[in-house]
Amino acid sequence: MNQKKLSISTAILVCASFILIVTAWFSPALAARDTIQIVGSSTVYPFSITVAEHLGKKGFKTPKVESTGTGGGFKLFCAGVGETHPDISNASRAIKDSEKETCALNGVKDIIEVKIGYDGIVLAVSKKGQPMDLTTKDIFLAIAKQVPDPKEEGKIIPNPYKTWKDINPNFPNIKIEIYGPPPTSGTRDAFLELAMESGAKSFTFLKEMAKKDEKQFKSIAHTIREDGAYIDAGENDNLIVQKLDGNPKALGIFGFSFLDQNQDKIQGCSINGAKPTFENIASGSYPLARPLFFYVKKAHVGVIPGIKEYVEEFLSERAIGDNGYLTQKGLIPLPKEEREKVRNTVKGQL
Amino acid sequence: MKNFIAKFINTSALSRDNSYCYQDVSVFLSDTSQLKSKEPFSLPESSKKPCIVCRNVNVFYKNKQAINDVSLDIYRREVLAIIGASGCGKSTFIRCLNRMNDTIEGCRVTGQILFDGIDIHSKDMDVVLLRARVGMVFQKPNPFPKSIYENVAYGPKIHGLAQSKRELDEIVEVSLRKAGLWDEVKDRLSHSGLSLSGGQQQRLCIARTIAVNPEVILMDEPCSALDPIATARIEELMAELSQEYAIVIVTHSLQQAARVSHRTAFFHLGSLIEIGPTEEIFTRPSKKLTEDYITGRFG
Amino acid sequence: MNRPSRIPTADIVRRSLPRRYKKERRFLIYGALSIVVCFLFLGIFFSGIFRMGWRAFFETRIKLPIYLDPELILPYNIKESDYGLVISQSLQRFFPDVTSRQEKRELSKLLGAGVEEVLKEFVIKHPEAVGSAVEIWLPAGDGINLINKGVISKERAIQAGLVTEGILQKFEQLSSDGRVSTGFNSRFFTSGDSHTPSMAGIGGAIVGSFYLMVVTFFLSFPIGVGAAIYLEECAPKSRLTDIIDININNLTAVPSIIFGLIGLAIFLNFFKLPRSSPLVGGLVLSLMTIPVIVIASKSALKSVPPSIREAALGVGASKIQTIFHHVVPLALPGMFTGAILGMARAVGETAPLLMVGMVAFVVDIPKKLMDPASALPVQIYLWSDQPDRAFNEKAAAAIIVLIFFMIAMNSAAIFLRKKYERKY
Repeated sequence: MNQKKLSISTAILVCASFILIVTAWFSPALAARDTIQIVGSSTVYPFSITVAEHLGKKGFKTPKVESTGTGGGFKLFCAGVGETHPDISNASRAIKDSEKETCALNGVKDIIEVKIGYDGIVLAVSKKGQPMDLTTKDIFLAIAKQVPDPKEEGKIIPNPYKTWKDINPNFPNIKIEIYGPPPTSGTRDAFLELAMESGAKSFTFLKEMAKKDEKQFKSIAHTIREDGAYIDAGENDNLIVQKLDGNPKALGIFGFSFLDQNQDKIQGCSINGAKPTFENIASGSYPLARPLFFYVKKAHVGVIPGIKEYVEEFLSERAIGDNGYLTQKGLIPLPKEEREKVRNTVKGQL
Repeated sequence: MKNFIAKFINTSALSRDNSYCYQDVSVFLSDTSQLKSKEPFSLPESSKKPCIVCRNVNVFYKNKQAINDVSLDIYRREVLAIIGASGCGKSTFIRCLNRMNDTIEGCRVTGQILFDGIDIHSKDMDVVLLRARVGMVFQKPNPFPKSIYENVAYGPKIHGLAQSKRELDEIVEVSLRKAGLWDEVKDRLSHSGLSLSGGQQQRLCIARTIAVNPEVILMDEPCSALDPIATARIEELMAELSQEYAIVIVTHSLQQAARVSHRTAFFHLGSLIEIGPTEEIFTRPSKKLTEDYITGRFG
Repeated sequence: MNRPSRIPTADIVRRSLPRRYKKERRFLIYGALSIVVCFLFLGIFFSGIFRMGWRAFFETRIKLPIYLDPELILPYNIKESDYGLVISQSLQRFFPDVTSRQEKRELSKLLGAGVEEVLKEFVIKHPEAVGSAVEIWLPAGDGINLINKGVISKERAIQAGLVTEGILQKFEQLSSDGRVSTGFNSRFFTSGDSHTPSMAGIGGAIVGSFYLMVVTFFLSFPIGVGAAIYLEECAPKSRLTDIIDININNLTAVPSIIFGLIGLAIFLNFFKLPRSSPLVGGLVLSLMTIPVIVIASKSALKSVPPSIREAALGVGASKIQTIFHHVVPLALPGMFTGAILGMARAVGETAPLLMVGMVAFVVDIPKKLMDPASALPVQIYLWSDQPDRAFNEKAAAAIIVLIFFMIAMNSAAIFLRKKYERKY
């Protein structure tokens, strides 16, 4: 390599990096954002991207959707108002008061809550295995780290149950083995709240404790056993489905849409007598159902193009109606009247 | 006053209208008369003046002393051979002369080395300029992994010695001719310097050194990696080059020193034991140590 | 020497020989075994991924006569006409026996969810065809596609609710009419992400990854090489440079998510750069790559023999001339190799990108460095977490593409090294 060529190439490299740094520095001034930014729950993510794509076909830029988890989504959403902050946050639970406070602190005052439907949390087994008729009490006894002593009323002991038969003589004599979401997951939060708490409350003394000493109650109801019967399977629900397929004796905990898509491989257990079906979740008779939301930053409406249209598309009958495209993707719709109500209140706020 | 002279000398050297060492060193010597002159040797040719003057040179590696109080002069158009057993500091010494030791970490040189009347460690002597004027050929042939032409042309190019491509071509040809390599490589100047044989590579390195037209050429055991035929070629070359340049050669081979040098310096354990006309050193050395070494009683 | 016994050395050596050779053989067997185990795992991994993914490069197409109704496709409104309606009317005309609402709805599952787009593209290209009936190859529905490619058996597909018996019959009828074909799915390489598997592609992700690489290379290479040259050649060796050295080495072992956090704190929150842009992603990946390049470059510089430096210094080159004319050109292949390996590592990262918002659903193919973009590994991560069955094979196919890129980059590194390696 001769020296001239070398110095030229060095010069080019230096110049290129210089230009990069300069553009980087001035970029916010260069481009006003015209793409909607959406963050939040991974459960709402598939629905959100579907609506986003429909909006993209209407001539808007296709919104960018990040799957950050509900909590992570609110953290970003509440960080402030302005181009660099997201416009919409998806959530698999309602916003917490603490999160509202953070929002307000950072100047995010007006937030529009939009309820879009329900998601069911299912306990499923492989098609090759036997589905069980569980109660939330059984679930609590199978999963909690500490359970009430069956021999002595009011006493708490470490979970002694090794097989399902130990819990209920009608159950098969197989080892308790449950694949479930890790602590960071919104599904796990909802599961603890819906299944474990209600299971714990089936014991009268625990129910009373819940009234008197909520903290202690939660430490019992929300603590999952660590002796290997409950296995953290990671955020990826597809992985749990695969594991169930290979292990007919194990149970898995995940969102309804994964059961819906893999009905050839797995089947759901009924909880308190209700099968995890579309109809049962929609009607509310299946106990492990949670509402899904998204939250819109009002200050961004009209500034970032397309937010209003996105919300309208999301709430339209062709999306979340009984035969809507989101419903076909596994979203469990709100009852018709509630849909109307949500539509009207949101329209008023926009 | 001293400073002024030094500057004067420096600029006159820079102008390089002729490549001779500054002639009137006596002016300088009188000025630095505090230096003790223990050089017993009288000039072989009265016209010659010292080109490099070393006084009380000590070299330390970290805390270890490698050269111990060496003083000697090097004259123009002479070949000075430095002999001595392995590890006696011969290489270290000649690497001081163009400050090659600067590159070695922890190496410290004290004493005075005057090139052309200027202390080579002073601010008035730029190290790049010094190395352009005091060229060096190394023990192992080390051509650049570039073409033969590029190897020779590199020095003149960076120093801006040639105004045009034609001039550069001329310098390359003259240098290769002087190194006795031209006829062997003239048809393949664009081939890699590494494609040559060991002896040819060493001659290429010599051509590379003389292309800059230095005043002194330092050779650090230039033939130790070569076979006898290649060695003979290099020795012939040295004889030719000594018509023009001062050459300092470090060698292991006593025969080589006897064959090529005008004067010989014998080093032992970092000290200069004896220096004198080669014939004298080899036939009637004044020191016992020298005699022992030359007669092969040790080393 | 002064052993009392008189046994000749040869005898002692001879006696110990069998034991020594046995040791040697045992070691050779261990070595060969570990190689076999490595290749076994590699084989299992590759064959598994390949078996799952190769089908995603193909799609099932159905040829249908479509009547481009001029009442529905108005010439001044070609882009916004209701092509869904055009297709469903044509479908009904083709299957006159379908009458009930339920059946009609099911019939739409015969074709993929993105057929309107395909038809739209066709009409935009051939506006003169409006008003006539044309035979067009349209992508089949996801369920049909999976069955036809043999990913899932008919029984299981019906069980899983992917298709219905009626649709399957119609598909078989079409198939026997020669109206079904399987072809290369070029859309997979050209389109962005989508919620429908049949329309989803890795085009956007590839472009995103490309931008990431460009930014990463142009930032980390000059900085990394510059740092290495300064540290190795110019900086005086002191305790400070030792500390810097150690810390650079430590940086390569820092979990990549931490670089993402740094990126979030510095580039997004402080510099207010746009979230999800390849520029920010590239900056983060540069942080990760720089130490790798520094280390590789330093060792490349170190391996340049001192004789070359001496030669250059000896003819009077200055320090910087020596470095840039002789040392760096010789070290360059090693530096490039280090850079490519560092980038190959960076291109497969998702964790740092998660923090700067590049793990996102992005449909539009990014055109600028500031546009939201995703990257190949991110796309794999997102698809593998989708409930929809057909995304599984898409994810596997994306993995194949990513592995292909990795192999290409690593081969490039080897090629560069072999080509420019010089003996000295």
